[in-house]
Amino acid sequence: MDYTNQRPPQNYSQMDDQKTQDLEESVSETIMRDLKMIAYKLKYVLIPKEQEDNGKELRNWDLWGPLIFCLVLAMTLSFKAESTTTSTKSDVFAIIFVLIWVGAFIVTLNAQLLGGKVSFFQSVCLLGYCVFPINIEAIIIAFFGSYLPFLVKLIPVFLCFAWSAYSSVGFMASLVPPHKKKLAVYPVFLFYLFLSWFSLIV
Amino acid sequence: MLDNLNQDVSILQPSLQMTDSQVQNRIRQMKMEDPEEQTCYQKFCNLFTIEYYREYFDVTTELVISKVVNSFNPFSGTFFDIGGGIPELYGPFWILNTLIFTVALSVNISKYMQLQPGEHFEYQFQIVPFLAIFMYLKTLIVPMIYRVALKCVSQDRLTLLHCFTIYGYSAVVMIPVSLLNSIPNPAIQWMLLVYVLFAQTSFLTSNFNQELKYMPKEKKYMIVGLVAVVQITIMILYKFYFFSSINYQQLGLVKRKSHNHILSHILGAN
Repeated sequence: MDYTNQRPPQNYSQMDDQKTQDLEESVSETIMRDLKMIAYKLKYVLIPKEQEDNGKELRNWDLWGPLIFCLVLAMTLSFKAESTTTSTKSDVFAIIFVLIWVGAFIVTLNAQLLGGKVSFFQSVCLLGYCVFPINIEAIIIAFFGSYLPFLVKLIPVFLCFAWSAYSSVGFMASLVPPHKKKLAVYPVFLFYLFLSWFSLIV
Repeated sequence: MLDNLNQDVSILQPSLQMTDSQVQNRIRQMKMEDPEEQTCYQKFCNLFTIEYYREYFDVTTELVISKVVNSFNPFSGTFFDIGGGIPELYGPFWILNTLIFTVALSVNISKYMQLQPGEHFEYQFQIVPFLAIFMYLKTLIVPMIYRVALKCVSQDRLTLLHCFTIYGYSAVVMIPVSLLNSIPNPAIQWMLLVYVLFAQTSFLTSNFNQELKYMPKEKKYMIVGLVAVVQITIMILYKFYFFSSINYQQLGLVKRKSHNHILSHILGAN
């Protein structure tokens, strides 16, 4: 199998003669293929110039990417959180995990109720992939946060929030009729704002 | 059945006209009442489809923005004239979520501003689930109280959803006020509380007044008075739980670590 930068890795459902080969390949090969698929989708979602076919790649949604980013974010923040009198590290992990999935669910439901005709999981997949910049920002603040004054910390937070919001807004706005665009975009904005604020505070 | 529809439309005021999707929904409802069309089980299952709720999200950006701007104006009773007075759930739901986020933010900011030098900032998330439950319950129960009161005076033009809509939009005033509430000065906090109470109550009462113009005075004042009393109760609960207790907790922390003259100053002012 030949992976170039242009072609996406093949999905399991495509060719029957691949299936026997899948069972015979080593575990590392299977995992690498999944990881390459996630990396390809990530580049596709976050760097708008890679989108030559107007979002059709997103039809192959998968939830592995969102799960990985959600877990990494939750672990980073709970690792960095000190146990206080009112909340422990496991509270922080639980809050982030629930917040990401329930938040993505509610934002997608909102877009559907406003009249958008998109598959539910496609939208959840996109919102999950766009959590990646928040991941970067959480890691930066976790390692360097104690050396930086508050105002300097705000800069990467704001930049990553703007990057997340910008990547997902293009897709969400294309789902609904034109006079409802801002109504569909506002919940996305609120969702990433809440996540960024959370990663700044903890 | 169509005769009933005509009758309904004729007693509606122009400010409470139905949109196309509402008319379609009503026709669909009437079709569903025909026993050959749908069983009781199927009618119940309609509650779980998205199409059933789409009617209540039939709004445009300009409509939502104009309603939000109108809710900052406490004296003009024109809320139900905007966009034909159609009830919707988008505004109340997202205003509620924004409000929860804003209050959580300002509670943490107020704690941060009350830090004594040498103390480490402890963020508070425990308050967020409680805050969310409080806000959601408030937004669910209070419009039901209004609707029950309106039913008692046999006013049927304002349905439950109208009450949800107007109550949801009345909460917009609380968003900037909660941000300002993070300033730890007790005098400012009380002034903001009074302002919010006044603005919300007069917005609700002037709009209900507008709709109840044709009723005898006692009934009108009863409804309006009920609105005011419920608002005041909720506001006082809100202030005494969320912002006072933060002061006391902070004072508690301060007491354990060091005695300051600031402590007696704050206690004296309260």
